[in-house]
Amino acid sequence: MGVADAAVRAVGVWKRYGGGQTQVNALADVSADFGKGRFTAIMGPSGSGKSTLLHCLAGLDKPSDGSVFLGDVDLTKVPEKQLTHLRRDRIGFVFQAFNLVPTLTALENITLPLDLAGRKPDQDWLTTVIDTIGLTDRLSHKPSELSGGQQQRVACARALVSRPDVVFADEPTGNLDSRSSADVLDFLHRSVRDFGQTVVMVTHDPSAASYSDRVLFLADGTLQSELIDPTAESVLDTMKKLDSAPAEQH
Amino acid sequence: MFKLGLRSVLAHRLRFVLCTVAVTLGVAFAGGAMVFTDTLSHALKKNYAVSTADITVTPSSPIETGTDRPPTFQAGLADRIAAIPGVASAASQLLVSDVEILTPDGKPLENYGLTSFGASWPRDARVAPFKLVDGTPPSGRNELALDDSTASRAGYAIGDQVRIVTPTQAVTATLTATTTPVAAGAAAGAPLVSFDGATAQYLLLGQAGWTSVSVAVQPGSDADAVSKAIATTIGDSVKVRTAQQVTADGEHSLDSTFGGFSTVLVVFACLALFVGTFLIVNTFAMVVAQRSRELAMLRAIGASRGQVTGTVVAESVVIGILGSTLGLLIGIGVAVGIRFTYQLLDLRIPTASLQVSPATIIVCYVIGIGVTVAAAAPAARRAGKLPPIAAMRDDVTVPERSLLARISIGGFVLLMAVLLYAVGLNAGGTPGVVLITLGAGTGVIAIVMLSPLLSRYVVRALMYPFGRKAPVTLGRRNAERNPRRTSATASALMISVSLICGLMVIAASAKASINQSIADALGTSSILITSGGTPTFSTQIGDRTAQVPGVQSVHRVRQESGQVGKVSVRVSGVSDGTLDGPVTTTFDAGSAAVLGSGQAVLPRNLATTLGLTVGKTFDLATTTGKHRLTVGGILAPNRQLNAVLLSLPAYQKIGGPVTDNLLYVEVAQGNQVAEVRTGILDQLKKDYPSIEVRDQQAYAATAREPVNGVLAALGFLLALAILIALLGIVNTLALGVVERTREIGLLRAIGMDRPQLNRMLRVESIAITLLGALLGVVIGVVFAASVQSSMVDDGLAVRDIPVLQLVIAVAAAALFAVLAAVWPSRRAARLDVLRAIASE
Repeated sequence: MGVADAAVRAVGVWKRYGGGQTQVNALADVSADFGKGRFTAIMGPSGSGKSTLLHCLAGLDKPSDGSVFLGDVDLTKVPEKQLTHLRRDRIGFVFQAFNLVPTLTALENITLPLDLAGRKPDQDWLTTVIDTIGLTDRLSHKPSELSGGQQQRVACARALVSRPDVVFADEPTGNLDSRSSADVLDFLHRSVRDFGQTVVMVTHDPSAASYSDRVLFLADGTLQSELIDPTAESVLDTMKKLDSAPAEQH
Repeated sequence: MFKLGLRSVLAHRLRFVLCTVAVTLGVAFAGGAMVFTDTLSHALKKNYAVSTADITVTPSSPIETGTDRPPTFQAGLADRIAAIPGVASAASQLLVSDVEILTPDGKPLENYGLTSFGASWPRDARVAPFKLVDGTPPSGRNELALDDSTASRAGYAIGDQVRIVTPTQAVTATLTATTTPVAAGAAAGAPLVSFDGATAQYLLLGQAGWTSVSVAVQPGSDADAVSKAIATTIGDSVKVRTAQQVTADGEHSLDSTFGGFSTVLVVFACLALFVGTFLIVNTFAMVVAQRSRELAMLRAIGASRGQVTGTVVAESVVIGILGSTLGLLIGIGVAVGIRFTYQLLDLRIPTASLQVSPATIIVCYVIGIGVTVAAAAPAARRAGKLPPIAAMRDDVTVPERSLLARISIGGFVLLMAVLLYAVGLNAGGTPGVVLITLGAGTGVIAIVMLSPLLSRYVVRALMYPFGRKAPVTLGRRNAERNPRRTSATASALMISVSLICGLMVIAASAKASINQSIADALGTSSILITSGGTPTFSTQIGDRTAQVPGVQSVHRVRQESGQVGKVSVRVSGVSDGTLDGPVTTTFDAGSAAVLGSGQAVLPRNLATTLGLTVGKTFDLATTTGKHRLTVGGILAPNRQLNAVLLSLPAYQKIGGPVTDNLLYVEVAQGNQVAEVRTGILDQLKKDYPSIEVRDQQAYAATAREPVNGVLAALGFLLALAILIALLGIVNTLALGVVERTREIGLLRAIGMDRPQLNRMLRVESIAITLLGALLGVVIGVVFAASVQSSMVDDGLAVRDIPVLQLVIAVAAAALFAVLAAVWPSRRAARLDVLRAIASE
């Protein structure tokens, strides 16, 4: 996979907290490409730096060192205001919880990034996305009237509606039961397969990772290994191997 | 629990900042008012409420209140008193107010609200209220003395020609002496002009007479016994008081003067605190909501309901103590500032040590802590009701009581308000005003209770013109999402705005009514002469006006207070033809001709109050005693003259003073009114600079001046209440930002930029502010209009709603709303997006 095919690239990314004796490296020299139209999962134990990496890739956090490219834009060099507009126009988000604005209806939440940009939604695409999440009859409901799974599906629709270059999902199924998880993951998977969407997802759930095309394993802030076309079993195996090989050896 | 409360306040200090400011402002107001009045009244008592005479004899007044001039008696009295055993000396004195001192360049001297007095030179140094500082005592009509403070303030030195205007004439005399108060009398410290006795009577009263006799008792005699002997000998036509009684009376009158002043200020302080209450209620409600998990955790680890409630109450006590202490300190500072300003004005207001009485401190703490705790009580109770299990749940909410109870009670209260109002509107007059005020007060409470219901619809309607862009929609929905909070915040503003608007409408109506009556007068006569300084003026003004070329006739109107039975009335003497010419009158019974035979004419409203009809007699009490009069005619109610009307000779016979209050001037045919007016001004302005001569044009100019005076002072006080209400909006927005940290983080993450974030908060701020301001304007205008309609016959004949000013007020409110959103917006923009969206 060449550089031109990457939607997002991390180049030598460091993230340090504190200084001197108490300095902690949340990310240590992480480089990775995330291909266009691919579904990539980032896995790792708690504190491995996987969420930090996602935040850096999404322009929510600034790396201490290194660069992050969205297409050919270096996110580490873009001023705050432009970064906000990049997030609005070219990036989609699905968080673990609290994804929706409680005062807006489901439909208003879905179109919020477009409304903020002052753009009119492409009606065909909007209909397609809404059909795919299967919540046509609940669009006028407020988030408090939707179940957790329904809320996450609305969040996914919102992430897709502006046809972003990449969708970042941070533990999108972390708060859901297995059935709702399957719905959400299925939706992300189909958005990649049917619409050519690029998705980067952080998860600690091997079965969630199995929906992806490729899994990156992170521990102690460094990339450990990767799996192509993973299954839940192969992911579990890799994680076991990582657990038995203590991080101190690296 | 107190310790926990203290810790919590410290940990969340930012959230409590505005809460504390609200308490501080209210307490500062109350504290400052109390300290200042205590200090001033203490100083005045120390210096003024002291008598140099052992015994003071004054004529007893047949009417109870509101005399325009002091009653007098004749010279023989002092001799009769001097003959009484035990009396060493008895000296007649004359002291009258309404003297105008002019500066060397002919302008009236600014006295900052103090009354100027004219007095006779003391006859006996033993009982003199003031004494010589420099020069020689004045003697004859060409000499006068001034108190040294006034002389230096006006820039007069001994030997200078000083110009003054007394109620009887304009005087130019040589300054021969300066004086200083010995220690006594109501006039000490105020500007004082003195003349020798005969001159004082001639210039100040225009007739013989004294206002008091100061008595010194012989050494070894008992003042009380002598005082009794005087009272027995002279009879009840005089009031005899010992120095002690004079002091007590003086202190009493100072107390009631300052009592009234400080009551007004305390009422405003209470208003400020009341408005602040909404802010405190909101703060505690929001803080408890935000900390519900923490509080539930306390319950889970074994704290009782009472203890959890206790922590929140303890927090409010901490805020109360802090706010009260700061408020008290600021209040003392303000009092010091006012005192300093008075000293800068170079008035001889005695300086006394600052009086911070224990009562002030106690009152400040009691109201400060009381208000805070009371306002925090509902939130504290709700906190106690949190179930321990809430600590384990993610989506904890403090249980809120349903609005149903509140709305049904509110509906009932509204019904009561409407009933009171309807009865009040029909009642008219003073009872009507009382009922309408009660109705309006009840109505405000009802609207405060119902406003959570109203807020959603009103906000939606108000914000409609702002469009449907995402930040606008979000801001509007934020204003709608917690109706209680929005309406409490808006209610605070509503109350302040309604008071200000009510005041504006009433003041504008009062002014329009006065202007209307002047306009009426000018409609029938060409020129109107009044005094801008003292209420009455010399008859010479009329005499001199009559000589101005082009003046056909001058009609005089004189007024003073009187009493019929227990009813205070105005008594007016009018020159012949006034009722046929300049004053527009319609007679219900009788005619203007009856005045000539010494009979009285009454307007219908007054006749009805007194139960009088044509032919009946009644006793009118004036400062000179009781006088029997016959009703000769009844007039339709009249804006210009709402008084018992007499001819000038009859007015003089009942003791009416020979000074004018108002002159109607008719211009002879073939003359330009403006030219004649200029002629009159030329004739009068040099000697009487405060005289106002108005024709149609001059009148129109004064009518255009904005409403001011008392209104400005009240407006300033009410502006403080509005300030607190606006702080409430800042508070609600800022706490809302804290509460919606995650939501704002999410919005920022998915691409809301700072301008959009600012706009979102601005819209919320404007929605709350407009809700409060518009409800306030409506309530204020409806209230004032109803008061006006009840007082058509009592001085508020014309209704004037200053639409432009009201619109400006609402626009200003919207502008303040934009400012109110600045600080919360900044905080919101600084929120760390990552922390805001962190999953745990």
